[in-house]
Amino acid sequence: MAAVILEARGLAYAYPGGVAALSGLDLAVKRGQRLAILGPTGAGKTTLLLHLNGTLKPSAGSVLLDGDACAYSRSAVRAWRRRVGLVLQEPDDQLFAATVFEDVSFGPLNLGLAPAEARARVERTLADLHIAALAERPPHLLSFGQKKRVALAGAVAMEPDVLLLDEPTAGLDHHGARHLLAVLDRLAAAGTTLVFTTHDVDLAYGWADEVALFDGGRVGSQGKPETVLADARSLARAHLRMPLVLALGLAARAAGVLGADDSLPHSHDDALALFERGVSKLNRVV
Amino acid sequence: MTALDRIAHAGRWRRLPLAEKALLALGLLALALILPPWPGAVLVLAAAALAALAGARVPPGAWLGAFAAPAAFIATGALALVVTWGEDGLALVAEPLVAVRPALRALAATAALLLLALTTPAPVLVKALRLPPELADLALALYRFLFGLLDTLRAMQAAQQARLGGAGSIRSAGLLAAALLPRALERARRLEIGLAARLHTGTLDTLAAEPAPSPRRLAAIAILLAAVAGGAAWLQ
Repeated sequence: MAAVILEARGLAYAYPGGVAALSGLDLAVKRGQRLAILGPTGAGKTTLLLHLNGTLKPSAGSVLLDGDACAYSRSAVRAWRRRVGLVLQEPDDQLFAATVFEDVSFGPLNLGLAPAEARARVERTLADLHIAALAERPPHLLSFGQKKRVALAGAVAMEPDVLLLDEPTAGLDHHGARHLLAVLDRLAAAGTTLVFTTHDVDLAYGWADEVALFDGGRVGSQGKPETVLADARSLARAHLRMPLVLALGLAARAAGVLGADDSLPHSHDDALALFERGVSKLNRVV
Repeated sequence: MTALDRIAHAGRWRRLPLAEKALLALGLLALALILPPWPGAVLVLAAAALAALAGARVPPGAWLGAFAAPAAFIATGALALVVTWGEDGLALVAEPLVAVRPALRALAATAALLLLALTTPAPVLVKALRLPPELADLALALYRFLFGLLDTLRAMQAAQQARLGGAGSIRSAGLLAAALLPRALERARRLEIGLAARLHTGTLDTLAAEPAPSPRRLAAIAILLAAVAGGAAWLQ
């Protein structure tokens, strides 16, 4: 079992005005995994990411990286952010420079890399994310999907151990979302731990290794997607629904189309294959 | 402003070194000020327009649109110098060329500077000015911020108009301004978080890809400037 790299213990935080956002939240992120934090809009998922990144300091509890709690001094937060990157939901909140190349170079230069090394890293990142053609374009003239990829490149170029992504596919069309997920797949394959917030249960079920269900300022349950997202009561409490593919798989299992030891479908293709299996079985019976 | 920015970013001369574009534009500006208005300024105006339209391939409509406002301003100023109000009513001054000469100079100088503005994005110019880092960062941040704010403003205007508001009423404009300020502040706060996540330390250092000037192109620009000056002397 992979070791825990990032952990939140008993986090509590209230917005100015006293509205509680986090109340005794526990979360464990294992090294190299893709963890989806699921919850309805406005539940405080972004606030949680800002804690995991060291931007916000909890009123109680602690955040730990490789077992060491964040000390919140200027140097400690800086060291923390070298290892824990953050990509905000709205790319315009991150992009500031005159061109894409300049913007992506900002993080590597702040890491203290020499200009030649930073330049090489920016070129490599832009190539890896398939946006090298945008290098000389100004961010404000890009499409939303392109801006999303550039904002991601800005964080990826710093090569963090853990990358926090706030609603990475929000606002993207199907093609844009698939493209972004393919990039994240490559990052995960290279060993980057990915933590992303979403209210898209289908995305979380199909793509994450583990999901954490955010409910009432704390993580209600965390574990394998097919376990956590099969619990209809927990989902209802978090104002979420069961993923369609999982619902279909569970229905197929209940109807005997899928054996108790057979793995549940995870993608649309799996679900279609299962559906065809069910139809052919029905035909045989008829 | 957004139209100028788009043209500067999308133009054919966008990737040319600033030194080359600055030599051409400022060289033409200097000629516009030094040479006699006729035929010097007219030649400078023609050269600057030709460089923008044929060289940098700035769309003619965009060039005319950008040139029209300062040209109208200059023409209005010249008109005030050409006509006089006396005992016989409105009349032409004895020496109308007194007004035409500076107007020609001003139009030529405007075309020369427009050539630089339409081929060079504003951040490149800001960096070339070698301002103190704090001022340069502030100017670049404002430049970037402005476009986001304009987007927000357009969206809010559209939302007002969709509910039959807006359309120039002072009350709608006031509501718009009042709503825009907190959004701008909120956006600035989120930008601060985004930059802090990338270890922002107070300066916005980035790597710029500034190509080196080409001696051949610099020589061609010098020949063009000399040709304009020589042509003006010959025609005179």
